[in-house]
Amino acid sequence: MPRREYVATAEPSPLDSIYANTGCVGPPCSLLFSQSRGKENGAGYIPIISGGAGYIHNVTGGGPTLEPQVNPVLLVPFGRHVLLESRTDFTGFFARENFTSGPFKGKVFKDVEYAQLDWLADTHAIVVGGHYLLPFGLYNERLGPIWIRNLQDSPFTASIGTRTSGAGNGLMVRGVAAQTPTMSLQYTAYYSVPSDVEQLGSGRAAGGDASVFFPGHRFEVGGSAQRFLQDHHITNGAVYISWQPLEASMDVKGEFDASYNGRGYWLEGAYKLDHVSSHSFIHKAQLVGRFQQVFPQNGGGNGLPRNNNKRFDTGLNYYLKDNLRLISSYARNFNSQQNLNV
Amino acid sequence: MNHRVLYAWLLLMPLGMLAAPPRQASDSARQTQSRGASSQPADAGARVFAANCSRCHQPPMSLSPRTTGTVIMHMRTRARLSREDEKLLLKFMAP
Repeated sequence: MPRREYVATAEPSPLDSIYANTGCVGPPCSLLFSQSRGKENGAGYIPIISGGAGYIHNVTGGGPTLEPQVNPVLLVPFGRHVLLESRTDFTGFFARENFTSGPFKGKVFKDVEYAQLDWLADTHAIVVGGHYLLPFGLYNERLGPIWIRNLQDSPFTASIGTRTSGAGNGLMVRGVAAQTPTMSLQYTAYYSVPSDVEQLGSGRAAGGDASVFFPGHRFEVGGSAQRFLQDHHITNGAVYISWQPLEASMDVKGEFDASYNGRGYWLEGAYKLDHVSSHSFIHKAQLVGRFQQVFPQNGGGNGLPRNNNKRFDTGLNYYLKDNLRLISSYARNFNSQQNLNV
Repeated sequence: MNHRVLYAWLLLMPLGMLAAPPRQASDSARQTQSRGASSQPADAGARVFAANCSRCHQPPMSLSPRTTGTVIMHMRTRARLSREDEKLLLKFMAP
């Protein structure tokens, strides 16, 4: 079994120590470092087309579904203070005609997740206009992309604070309210107007998010609030924590959400095995677990289930490369109507 | 299918715990990091990089210098980073 070692390059780079901590060792890292430090004329500001793609085979209650997904991302800078960015989602959903038998049938759904213009005015204000992801809790804005999320399925409460489409149309201001070497107070405030335009839908809503991040401990605590100002006006709220301890490749996140339609919480932990084993096969693996409960009120709905639910997800992810991974998970869902394996 | 995933999960967890502990290697890497922390200007950028990227995702292993400026503009908006953090990241990733 080859022993894992930190390989120092001839010309030490600041990236070396970081990548050693993230488990990147050996010649591939040296190549990466030379890419980053070989350029002497600074950072490039060029348009980028990037994104992610995935294929999910899901079995829920014995019924299989096939879900191929492509998410192209476009970034176009105008100088160093203005950025046009967008992400589009193409997701296919194919299920068997008779739930467990018959040919697969379905369709491809298209959605512009965001298309926004950012003006990076200064530390305290980044002004965003256009179609933007609603900053509510941890999930919608930060953990939604397929290449970021550790488990395939969103938590039950992900629909709270993200009506109607997960995005808003209008203006958003965000930035750093105050910063010291040990903490950073960050905020977001937005107002969204309603829109029925296909793929650019949104509801009338106003809200904000604030969090305090302690970089020395990699700990963040925050909260979000939103007033939905369309049809039945309701108030939504969330509090969350996020922690990545320095001592281990662990990521702990949790959130409690409440709205007129219900309340619930989720707690998720992910542990990458790069500090546990020297074996190259094992240190690319990541274990994930999430527990969640939801308690509908006033009949639930608006994305929340109608009955009390609790669900436990376990996952095993494997990083083949930095930008290529296999994710797998098993979940057991308990509710008063029917228990399901997912 | 579901059972296979569960079995793999259960199998891998004890394997990981039984495997040889690589503490020596990773600890020395961390010491290297902390030793140089106050001496190199780019280390402030390294700390911003390490602390902020992992809040949402695994830190990227590679980034072409040609795209670094654009990507950091994007991440500054997403992660609500300060102008100072942006400057430190640029110094660190594309000196």
